[in-house]
Amino acid sequence: MKERLLKKDNVKALCVSASDQWETYVPLEGFGGDVQFTKLDNEKRELSLDKLNLNYEILTVPPKVTVFPQLESLFRFQDEKISETVKPKAPILLFGLRACDVKGILFTDDFFKRNFEDIYYLNRSMNKLLVIVGCKHPLENCFCTSTKTGPFLESGFDLQLVDIGNKCLVEIGSEKGQEFVSSYGKFFDEASKDDVECSKIAKRDAEEAVRLRLDFEEAIKKFCDDKVPREIYERIAERCIYCGGCLYVCPTCTCFNVFDDIKASSGGRYRNWDACVFAGYTREASGHNPRFEKWLRTSRRYEHKLKYDYLTTGTSGCVGCGRCLSSCPVNIGISQVIEEVSKR
Amino acid sequence: MKNEYVPHPAIIESFQSESFDTKTFKVVFEDKALADSFDYKPGQFVQVSLLGVGEAPISITSSPSQKGFLELTIRAVGKLTRTIHELEPADKIYIRGPYGNSFPFEEVAGKDLYFIAGGIGLPPLRSVITSVFDRRGDFGKIKILYGAKTPYELCFKEELQSWKRMADTEVLLTVDEPDEGWKGNVGVVTTLWDKTDMAASCGAAFVCGPPVMIRFVIEKLLNSGFEDENIYITLERYMKCGIGKCGHCNIGEKFVCTDGPVFTYSQLKKFPDKERAIA
Repeated sequence: MKERLLKKDNVKALCVSASDQWETYVPLEGFGGDVQFTKLDNEKRELSLDKLNLNYEILTVPPKVTVFPQLESLFRFQDEKISETVKPKAPILLFGLRACDVKGILFTDDFFKRNFEDIYYLNRSMNKLLVIVGCKHPLENCFCTSTKTGPFLESGFDLQLVDIGNKCLVEIGSEKGQEFVSSYGKFFDEASKDDVECSKIAKRDAEEAVRLRLDFEEAIKKFCDDKVPREIYERIAERCIYCGGCLYVCPTCTCFNVFDDIKASSGGRYRNWDACVFAGYTREASGHNPRFEKWLRTSRRYEHKLKYDYLTTGTSGCVGCGRCLSSCPVNIGISQVIEEVSKR
Repeated sequence: MKNEYVPHPAIIESFQSESFDTKTFKVVFEDKALADSFDYKPGQFVQVSLLGVGEAPISITSSPSQKGFLELTIRAVGKLTRTIHELEPADKIYIRGPYGNSFPFEEVAGKDLYFIAGGIGLPPLRSVITSVFDRRGDFGKIKILYGAKTPYELCFKEELQSWKRMADTEVLLTVDEPDEGWKGNVGVVTTLWDKTDMAASCGAAFVCGPPVMIRFVIEKLLNSGFEDENIYITLERYMKCGIGKCGHCNIGEKFVCTDGPVFTYSQLKKFPDKERAIA
């Protein structure tokens, strides 16, 4: 499909206009400078958009949070009567995603569709439009070129924007993307040959700016062939404080806990993110715990991503975003594990 | 799309005490149509909950041929199960399911069947045993080897006696700590190997019990000549969803809740040791 052009001056107006039809999420700068994917509140949207930041380095919490919230209600109850809390399907627009995070969302989409369908997740996620704004300034912990998940994608997006100065080249990746560009045609312009050439240079520059390079395929092969010695996990276990932070910020983590909350005779059942590195994660009521030892939990944490996800789906569960390392209080990241395993 | 997380109310019709910490509850769905249509296979489980307390996976111990109700044998070990034990007939509990795979009937037709259970491991096997007796002619000899800590902790005491009277059926019991009245075998369940012929020319074994028991029983079965693919083990894991989403029951790339809970030994031995499929 033919490329279009979006002037940066038009971005806010486009988001405002789209948010009439779409539940629109954009990267907004919050207190302290953290950028979060935030839903545009229709009444305050112009004001909110003053905080729009499409040039952000990385979202602290991955945008999967828009479709898989950290805490969500499964149902409410009053006395013995249950009332459902599933949100109806709504069209959502995620504008300004990075490529690695789109890969993350596609991964969790596939997971929640597999076998039993998860209605809570799918009602949020199945009617969405994914708009990438490609990464220009990758962080030192990023390694998306090694995992082949960025800084730009070949497919999987609806629209992909390439920053070329005061405008963006718009690549159309799906029919839905094409429809969106047609519906909001007044915000888009024709792209010239020069614009397309500029976008190629911008993409190449972005790719070169990703400096951390890993032999990811070799690492995956070693993981799948069970060539990762226990000693690697034991060494990590000596330093890891088992806070679970790396998993809470991981774009492909889907594990959750379920708990009930009750006050007097009314309450609800909820689910919230959980992490497989916690000692209580596999502890049964009898006290039996198959994965109590720290190195076993560490092994699980890495092998789930780099072996079992790959064996199940043909894609690893790592998108190379580097968040696990950036957020780790004791400087452990999956990139270090990948590097060590691939070089052994 | 079905909402798998919302459970259905069911009424406790009656219960029977099996031991000081174990009761078998007979429950009936409040919704008559659901009660009549609810179908399951031996080896499957349901997610049982109380609103405001929590939810846990419990295996179905009744047999699919018994329509209109479910039997759930529950040991009071955690917050939810202790609260369930305080319930009386006419009280409400919440159920969703059934989930998981089941013990394969077709594949073991014509074979001698060996059931080996420890403690609270008999309830999941009882569903299979009852179903096997429903179709007694389809199978060879039946041996049931069951062990518990004390005579008091043996579940289904009356049924164990009635199973003994079935054609071509042997029931062997053992306890770790006998009381004065106990005349049977003393020792762990594997000590029953000396009491009967376990040569398994064409046998299939069904195993359920605590992890350490499973490990020793498999060793014994293999020594007796059972084939890896004829040893069926039902596993227990901490679970939150029962539908392959919450991740807690993961072993390797499998989910105990959807790929299991029943695995053959040939499947189990493929898991790396560190996944602790059998601890």
